[in-house]
Amino acid sequence: MNAVANDRLGSIEDVTRGAIKIDDVVKIYDPDGAAVMAVDHCSIDIPAGEICMIVGPSGCGKTTLLNAIAGFHGVTSGSIYLDGEMLCGPGNPQAQPGSDRIVVFQNGALFPWKTNLDNIAFGPMMAGVESKKEIYDRARSMMADAGLSGTEHSYPGEVSSGLRRRVEIVRALMNHPSVLLFDEPYRALDSLTKSVMHEALLEIYYKNKVTIFFITHDLEEAIFLGHRLIIMSSRPCSPKKIITVDIPHPRDYSVLTSNRFREIMDEAKDVVNEEARKAFDAGEKEG
Amino acid sequence: MPNSANNADFMEVLKNAMPFQVIPENLLRDIAAICSSQSFAAGERIYNFGELADDVYIVASGRVRHVLGADSDPKRHEDIVHANGIFGWAAVLEGQNTRLATTSSLEDTEVVRINGKALTALFRDNPAVGDVVMSRFATMINKEFSVPQSIASQVPSFKQALKATSLQGSEVSTMALTVFRISTWLQSPRPYLMLIGFALVLSFWYLSVQVWELPRFVDMPGLTEVFREWFSKDPVYGLSVYTPEYYKHIGISLRRIGIAFALATALGVPLGLFLGWSKTFREFVFPLFEVLRPIPVLAWVPLAIIIFSGSETPVIFLTFLASFFATTLNTMLGVESIDESYSRAAYCLGASRFQVFRHVVVPGALPYIFTGLQISIGVAWFSLVAGEMVSGQYGLGYLINTSYMMIEYPKIIIGMITLGIVGYSTSAMVRMMGDYLMQWRVRELALGDN
Repeated sequence: MNAVANDRLGSIEDVTRGAIKIDDVVKIYDPDGAAVMAVDHCSIDIPAGEICMIVGPSGCGKTTLLNAIAGFHGVTSGSIYLDGEMLCGPGNPQAQPGSDRIVVFQNGALFPWKTNLDNIAFGPMMAGVESKKEIYDRARSMMADAGLSGTEHSYPGEVSSGLRRRVEIVRALMNHPSVLLFDEPYRALDSLTKSVMHEALLEIYYKNKVTIFFITHDLEEAIFLGHRLIIMSSRPCSPKKIITVDIPHPRDYSVLTSNRFREIMDEAKDVVNEEARKAFDAGEKEG
Repeated sequence: MPNSANNADFMEVLKNAMPFQVIPENLLRDIAAICSSQSFAAGERIYNFGELADDVYIVASGRVRHVLGADSDPKRHEDIVHANGIFGWAAVLEGQNTRLATTSSLEDTEVVRINGKALTALFRDNPAVGDVVMSRFATMINKEFSVPQSIASQVPSFKQALKATSLQGSEVSTMALTVFRISTWLQSPRPYLMLIGFALVLSFWYLSVQVWELPRFVDMPGLTEVFREWFSKDPVYGLSVYTPEYYKHIGISLRRIGIAFALATALGVPLGLFLGWSKTFREFVFPLFEVLRPIPVLAWVPLAIIIFSGSETPVIFLTFLASFFATTLNTMLGVESIDESYSRAAYCLGASRFQVFRHVVVPGALPYIFTGLQISIGVAWFSLVAGEMVSGQYGLGYLINTSYMMIEYPKIIIGMITLGIVGYSTSAMVRMMGDYLMQWRVRELALGDN
């Protein structure tokens, strides 16, 4: 890669799809009449192509927000827009799930009964727009690009967890989504695999610019990957502090030891610790 | 001639080469131990196309021209490998032992050489790391070199190769799986324990009846008597493996089981799928189902005889009943057990409700469905024998019951052992059917076993 191309890699100016606007969203769960507020008047604006890291203590309601964008459940009030179009809002409290916003799940959701290749071809096969041959050719070349050659005919259960996550991201990208929603996907990985996954994710991101809405409680991960961190308050969840990570992309693991990284880390840590303590005091459960 | 350099220098070079960046320090040290370094003057040949591919090269400094293919090939591709770049990777590809390219240095160049075989051997001992490195190799080959994509798929995979060589690749036939299973089974202590188990029971039977002649065992037919009768060409009670009547009993029982089991599966699986899938349907049907299910098959006997004409249909109905409940219930549990993420993921990927049913609900429930079918075939035999004892003209249950009335005791035992063998065979067939339909599960379990 040459220097000119490198400069373009981190830039999000040329990304035209995938701006998310979360406008004053409230989500109240009402189990047995005991109202629990999960999201409290939350407004976030994410420009197209940004890697936006949502950081907050476990159980703070981050996933609730993600599920609302994905359309797995509705919102109590407020609205969410994708590229100016309302996904959910007054009159239509629950968004319709669709291939423009694809979730990468916490424990992975590759279908264990399909081979990696069939998993990757799944979305386009369901849509039925392209021919089967076109889909599978595209799937194979995307797998090769992501360093997954040779695992096409293995089942997800036969390959390492790191490889599975990569297959899942490729499966999402096959559908040309404008947004990828990550729900703490690397939570269960060991630190070696995790660091490989971070680099792999950035590599994939530089090739396919999409908006990334990434939930995590790992600050190092958040700062290493993100353009911005949005630190959430403990339940009910709402943005508490927004930190712009001004370390230029493309990044590699050497940024972890840079001074700027340390400074951002210190700044974020104070806010996160305070929220984590609050959550702990309130006795929130994992979730 | 290779120059000497110390391991710390080699480790530095390795750390800068993309595929090696993920390797933990201790393994990196082992790799550094098999490295050697070499310098080339500008323009010097490093290796030629078609030569033996022994070592992988990392460029420590300088630049190397990498020309793919033979000199005569008009479509040759040329790439330049810079510092930290890797070439000579043919040495780690599977099924490749000659050079794919000709390389020469463009300026004074220092390289680090690693023997490909020794490197693969180290990765074989560390399959987890090895797989990550090799997958990075594949990425690098695709990205930095103008080669056909098929080359990168030749990078070895250690985890799978290690654990189950016979399970690799796409074209794993059911036959190969069966052979694999049998060979691992024979290597385990299980078959021998099984033989000991059989031997213990048979010798207890022999000793208690024929040697010790225990008080309550007097009327019981002895081991040798039963087996002599069973395999006699001229049986005393008219039933042995040489008489057609014996096979008629088996055949009729099997036919009843076949019909009842097929009906129970054809009705039970769809019903179970819908019960699990649609909440409304479930609230409508399930309570009724739950009230009928605990009624034992024997309680249905009078009603079955009153409703169904002849001797055949009541028996089939009774056999069907218990199977049907087992299949339906397990299928429903199977649908409920499917992780919600799978259907959510499918919806995300644009699947319709019907597509989710077809591609997520059905395959996701299959393991439970087959557990249900295993139970179902077991209870089918149970109810069949009960039914045949009450009604019917032939069948193994009928054989056992009439032999008791006619005081032909050895025939009871022959009937019982035959039931055991035939029953086991049918359940093995159901299991094989399940393995055939759920290759993904078989492969996962086979990998997990070792």
